[in-house]
Amino acid sequence: MTLVRVPPPLEQEVDLSKTYDAVIVGSGAAGGMAAHVLTTYGLHVLMLEAGKKLPIEQELRSMQWPYDHPRRGDAPPGSHHLSFNEYTIRTPPYAKGSAFKHVYSYVGGWSGSDYVKNILVDEKDHPYTGTHYAWVRARCLGGKTNIWGRLALRLSDYDFKAKSHDGYGEDWPISYADLAPYYDKVDLYLGISGVKENLPHLPDSQFQRPSKLNFGEVKLRESLKKTGQVLTPYRAGVTTDGLKHNRYRSKCYGRGACDRRPGGCDIHAVFDSPTGLIYPAMDTGNLTIRPNSTAHEVLVDKNTGRARGVAFVDSVTRKSYEAKAKVVILAASTLESTRLLLLSRSPQHPNGLGNSSGHVGHNFCEHVMGPGVTGLIKELVGKPHTLDDGRPGGFYIPRFRNLKDRQPGFIRGYGFEGNSGHSMFPAHVMDTPGFGAQFKKTVRDHAGAFISMGAFGEVLPRYESYVDLDPELKDAWGVPVLRFHYQFSDNERKMAEDMVATGREMLEAAGIEVVGTDDKVLTEGWSIHELGTARMGNDPKTSVLNQFQQSHDVRNLFVVDGSSHVSASCQNPTWTIMALAWRSCDHLADEFRKGNL
Amino acid sequence: MTDPAELSRREMISTTAAALVTPLVNLGAARAARAAGAAGGPCELAPRFLTAAEYALLDELTELIIPADAHSPGARAAGVAGYIDGRLAESLEPDWQALWRSGLQAVEGLSRELNGKPFLEATPEQRVAVLSRMAASEPDPKTAAERFFAELKGQTVRGYYTSKIGIHLDQEYKGNVYQRGEFAGYDAK
Repeated sequence: MTLVRVPPPLEQEVDLSKTYDAVIVGSGAAGGMAAHVLTTYGLHVLMLEAGKKLPIEQELRSMQWPYDHPRRGDAPPGSHHLSFNEYTIRTPPYAKGSAFKHVYSYVGGWSGSDYVKNILVDEKDHPYTGTHYAWVRARCLGGKTNIWGRLALRLSDYDFKAKSHDGYGEDWPISYADLAPYYDKVDLYLGISGVKENLPHLPDSQFQRPSKLNFGEVKLRESLKKTGQVLTPYRAGVTTDGLKHNRYRSKCYGRGACDRRPGGCDIHAVFDSPTGLIYPAMDTGNLTIRPNSTAHEVLVDKNTGRARGVAFVDSVTRKSYEAKAKVVILAASTLESTRLLLLSRSPQHPNGLGNSSGHVGHNFCEHVMGPGVTGLIKELVGKPHTLDDGRPGGFYIPRFRNLKDRQPGFIRGYGFEGNSGHSMFPAHVMDTPGFGAQFKKTVRDHAGAFISMGAFGEVLPRYESYVDLDPELKDAWGVPVLRFHYQFSDNERKMAEDMVATGREMLEAAGIEVVGTDDKVLTEGWSIHELGTARMGNDPKTSVLNQFQQSHDVRNLFVVDGSSHVSASCQNPTWTIMALAWRSCDHLADEFRKGNL
Repeated sequence: MTDPAELSRREMISTTAAALVTPLVNLGAARAARAAGAAGGPCELAPRFLTAAEYALLDELTELIIPADAHSPGARAAGVAGYIDGRLAESLEPDWQALWRSGLQAVEGLSRELNGKPFLEATPEQRVAVLSRMAASEPDPKTAAERFFAELKGQTVRGYYTSKIGIHLDQEYKGNVYQRGEFAGYDAK
């Protein structure tokens, strides 16, 4: 059942003969935010989305019991999800030669692929080449925000001024003080749940009602306090108290099994771009959206070298079109926006649009993940089962490395995401040996008695980590694909070793028996936090965008997604993507009004 | 609806009532099994992929892995063999289907080797002995029968713990319901 029954606004007719004030490519967190801000200022905006506009509630079915689904949530026969082994043993394009009808990224492999089969791209249509990379893409209105992990964190000056702190890489052209007011705006407009902790390296948000901790999590939180470390309830991009200004979203009722990954939220208590940003923007009358529009080039005026619009093919009919606009805004996701810049070659911009620095595609960074620990909380074995889920997430342990200390093996840091307690499916079942009555009882007695956490660490941006266009291979729409040149380095490997050792120490110090450790680093890309390939900076020779995500080379071109980030931090990027986009679009609207664009 | 962020009282009552009925906690095992039948329960019709003999063998194997006990019904009542047969029937992966055919044959072969008779003609102790042999090197299976055990157990637990019986009667799962007030748990103080 669905609570919120306000249908999406009626769509405006797409008039490609007119010149829009702005055209936005992409409808995820960044594109949605750009649409929200610019339409509020009265600009007439056209949004191009490569994928469909889905009846998303019917896709997600957040409360469907597994036994009410014919395949217990699995995708239809003939579908395949790539595994860790496939990503690491084979090389891209991963779907090449596959006997399966559809091949998807690892997301949703187990417990949920039927809910994302229309959200994720089919790897057969969307190949890429080069080094190993688990590139997760969602092409539909709202993109990955329909299924994101919800962890909504701020960055701090430990991130924005990281070079000043340890000498590596570049500082961002902004500081926390520049972005803090925009983080506040995002918090208040979209809703975020959490607990204030007063940490300089993980600034607090304007929180709504927090989720709670269960027994094992309280135990670990109390233990960590003794060494000055913090375990805080999951900071979730979820409205737990409701949003009076948004009629498309419900507040969180602690319902659904939110640990069904990818889960999505069919009452939209979790932020997603369509209900959070795009539908309200359509209600202003200033936003026109055109789904099924695969952009392949930013068009440039031959005389001025400035952007004049976007060329796209209809994803279904494959007919070619042009959208004309005074300002072009790329928000197609880090790597897709980068691909578009590289595809947009012209006599004025021979290396791709906005690429006089040669940095487009470079300084590629993200988060390294995989290492983690699992502990058994003995007090809970054999105890009555309690309600531990129905909350947007478990807990987060913020970064603690290289703040005041200097680690010998690596720079920067990592945080832990974790969870404990009962879930719908007893995940420990496959690690429980044997069969029969004793096996069944052991599974039952141990259910809910585990605590697990996995780390997300900062991957350093390096010029030699990059993507470019494959000289030969094209996707299903005839558009040249990306080629990856990207691998983790020693800093990430040393950090990964520390993640396992430290996770173990943390659990043991809390009196929790460590029953499993994972020291395997997952394939590059696994975190779905790719960043940095069109970075901001003050120097046009070493950066692509200025502090307002505006191209140094092309005044009326903006790139408002994660590609603009100068470094990855170890905090999840979605909230920062939206705060930056809001700030840049404020600036954009101001410049537009003054006639400077 | 003027303020859709607020749940109407009527909706809340109907939702909560549905959530209370669904768990079947107050039903007896037999009724629960019948209820489970509606959603991939015991195979009342002919199996779709397996032969009748293979199906009977599989049904017994799943029940040996997750048997009924005083706490909750087992894999048979939860219709696990029917679930597996259904997945095999609609699969487009001949290799996976072949693995199950040969795996069940390997079980029969092992039963004849150990007990000198087909699996279903053996005593309960003899059946357990066959399965114990298959499970002996569980973390690192070597023979065909040992490798099949991992697949058999994997699908059995998947079928059982996603069934009504597995979720509600065995695990007594409390979630996937509306929480009207506070979230469950403790404040982070």
